[in-house]
Amino acid sequence: MSSRSRQNTIDKTSRSNINHNPTYTPMPRKTSKKYDLVNHGKDLIFPSHKPIPDRPNDAVRQGHQKQPIKKLVIKGLKDKPKLPANYEEETWSKLRTAVQAIFNCQRIGTSLEELYKACENLCLHKMASSLYNRLAGEIEEHLKEEKTKLVSNLNENDTFLIVVNKCWMAHCEQMGLIRSIFLYLDRTYVLQTSGVISIWDKGLEIFKKQIMSSSAGDIKKKTINGLITFIRRERNGDSVDRSLLHSLIHMFIDLGTYCPSFENPFLSETRSYYHHEGLRLINEYPVPRYLKHVKKRLKEESERISQYLDWKTKNPLTKVVDDELIKRHVDALLDKGFNDMMEDQNSDEHIQELGRLYDLLARVNALDRLRLYFGSYIKKTGSGIVNNIDQESTMVEDLLALKKKMDSIVAISFDRNYNFAHTVKESFEVFINQRQNKPAELIGKIKDIPLLVTIYWQALTCFNMLFNYLLAKYVDLKLKLGNKRMDDSEIEKTLDEVLVLFRYIQGKDIFEAFYKRDLAKRLLLNKSASFDYEKSMLSKLRKECGPAFTSKLEGMFKDIDLSRDFMTSFYHSRISENLRTNIKIDLYVNVLTQGFWPTYTPAPLILPPVMADCQEVFKEFYLSKHGGRNLKWQNSLGHCLLAAEFQKELVVSLFQAVVLLQFNDLKQKEKISYEHIKEQTGIEKKELDRTLQSLACGKVRVLKKFPKGRDVNTTDEFIVDENFDVKLIRIKVNAIQMKETLEENQETNERVFLDRQYQVDAALVRIMKMRKSLSHNELISELLSQLKFKAQVSDIKKRVESLIEREYLERDTEDSSILRYLA
Amino acid sequence: MKVKVKGWHGVAVWRWDVPNEEVCGICRVPFDGCCPTCKTPGDDCSLIWGECTHVFHMHCLLRWLQTEGSRGQCPMDRRTWVTAK
Repeated sequence: MSSRSRQNTIDKTSRSNINHNPTYTPMPRKTSKKYDLVNHGKDLIFPSHKPIPDRPNDAVRQGHQKQPIKKLVIKGLKDKPKLPANYEEETWSKLRTAVQAIFNCQRIGTSLEELYKACENLCLHKMASSLYNRLAGEIEEHLKEEKTKLVSNLNENDTFLIVVNKCWMAHCEQMGLIRSIFLYLDRTYVLQTSGVISIWDKGLEIFKKQIMSSSAGDIKKKTINGLITFIRRERNGDSVDRSLLHSLIHMFIDLGTYCPSFENPFLSETRSYYHHEGLRLINEYPVPRYLKHVKKRLKEESERISQYLDWKTKNPLTKVVDDELIKRHVDALLDKGFNDMMEDQNSDEHIQELGRLYDLLARVNALDRLRLYFGSYIKKTGSGIVNNIDQESTMVEDLLALKKKMDSIVAISFDRNYNFAHTVKESFEVFINQRQNKPAELIGKIKDIPLLVTIYWQALTCFNMLFNYLLAKYVDLKLKLGNKRMDDSEIEKTLDEVLVLFRYIQGKDIFEAFYKRDLAKRLLLNKSASFDYEKSMLSKLRKECGPAFTSKLEGMFKDIDLSRDFMTSFYHSRISENLRTNIKIDLYVNVLTQGFWPTYTPAPLILPPVMADCQEVFKEFYLSKHGGRNLKWQNSLGHCLLAAEFQKELVVSLFQAVVLLQFNDLKQKEKISYEHIKEQTGIEKKELDRTLQSLACGKVRVLKKFPKGRDVNTTDEFIVDENFDVKLIRIKVNAIQMKETLEENQETNERVFLDRQYQVDAALVRIMKMRKSLSHNELISELLSQLKFKAQVSDIKKRVESLIEREYLERDTEDSSILRYLA
Repeated sequence: MKVKVKGWHGVAVWRWDVPNEEVCGICRVPFDGCCPTCKTPGDDCSLIWGECTHVFHMHCLLRWLQTEGSRGQCPMDRRTWVTAK
């Protein structure tokens, strides 16, 4: 059939070519006649014209000069030549027999050449019009017969389509032959007469009228139903004769009734089919499988279009499928399956599934919905991580993992869609900065965890602070000594990842405060894994927040460097030689500039005379080098190396060292009381409790406590543990840090809030100085846009009041909501 | 058990040897802070003592002495400025 229709189109084009020059065929003869006359005339007018020697009629012309001229006379016919009276009838009957033979698939008695001539002759004798009508009548007659045959087949079900197809194929073939015979008619009469369609088209028209029109009985309806049934069967998984479908559907296309008679019922059938399928499968299948199914359906439909449907159907058909299978179920898909798909741990597969979801939703413009779900998933998961108190230690790592996962989903599954990347960023910001407003509830949740932790959490009531704290701690952990499993590139990568989260936090000043505290500890207690890492982190922070943010941190490094230089010059001096030979203490001091470092509360301590001397020597030396300064010792940050019996060495804090030195002068098994130690060392109660606890109740127990127990009381007595034996040569006695952390955290918080207060004051004055007078609300909105952290409006109000008290501002006497700047 | 101190890592904090909370007579910023032209306190912005016992940020005083009206005098007591030591 396809070859048939191709031939059909070729014929059409060749005909249209001729159309440009309809009178082409008769022309040559006329022109050649004219040419002869003109040529002849030329010779008459110019007899002197030099004859061309090789012309064959030269001899004639020479002769013509001698002989008398013979005249040629043309006379008209006396009678017009007449056709035989029944010429038309006879010729037509010849043609008719041939046509009927073709229709009945019989041999044609006459040669085709003769038939063609007969048609040409009829046309030349101006009988084209009646010939055309007779031919049309013949075709109609034949198709009427065909119709009755088809109607008799109406009750057949499966074979009916085959019969119809056969009829159509035969029609095409027969019409092709007929057209060839009547080609002359097609090329002259049809082209020259307006309102007459070519024989082929006439054949189609009659076919349409007789067989495929709704007035012509149920044939058309039955055919269409048959086609649709076939397609439905194919959708259900049966295999069908696609060439039959192709042939019949293209019949409708050729007849020009594709759209109204086939496409419309086909689309509505498709709609109802997929409508039911969608409703059924969305409940039956899990979402990933459903998505796979939809993909398969879409592929099938596009195959259908390329195989046997008209390409024009493509858009409406895909739209129907999209509507019924996707659009209608967007919410159900997202509600039911999205979270599961995100949770799926099998990363390859779930990334593919999400990609499929993205593709399908993109088809129906539902990406915004997807983005909504995506965002809320991130927020939910993120909050889940940050509110899970039990897993505080892994929180930062979990968040980094979450971020990585989301990024890879956006990159692979979501086509690097910018909006989705933005959603990730936004959602992270939201949950990282969400405030934990219900500390009581929070504490209620952690009843079973030791009291210390409870208090410690209370100190960090707002989550923002906690997160800052944990992030700083995470960095601390990574940069601390003893974390040497990582190589340089890994450390770099970790720090970069931390910065990703850091970007999301509001209130970076809190991070700075915590970071500074940890950095100080690492630097002073020699706990840093590598200065290079520290500096790299610092340069990252500077890049992120500008030099103002890190200037103090850089100052800390400078102090450490200066101290090192100073200590070398100290060692080379005479004083220190004296120190080493007489006192035999290896002293190293970090001298800090006050403004750079966190403030430490001074802790009183009575040093044993040897140490006090040592300290004094250093102090003198320092002050002699740097005039106009004062030196204050930070006892809580000092640590010592003690030489004990059996060549063992103890690494202890300064407090621990001083306490242990108290036991030097005792006889064996002599106990000393708590009060005695307190008196001798001058350490504050809290600090002493902690120190004794670490020595007597910690992991490494140098002292024994009476009575035994975990906590230290003022009535306790202590004794050196004679059986103390640890295999290591250098033993580190850990200080107990927990309570200190609590206090330190509170202190850090307070400092941050104090700093913020100054910032708020400065910003308020700056704004008012510029604007002179502003209403309270305007002032607050402008202030909030200037501040880098989130400030509570109630706090701001307090600052405004304070500024009014200090006469920076005043209230307008008439309208108290307006504030004026006082110069 | 006897123990002996072998090594000692101490930490000390230095500050300017001036009474607490006192401010520079020129810029009114505490001595612990820095003069208005500096960003960081400490070594970069040191103090200067005169024989008249008055103390200023060094940057503040030097700028004062450069102005013509100063006539090389201490801004507090109008005695000729002589740096101590």
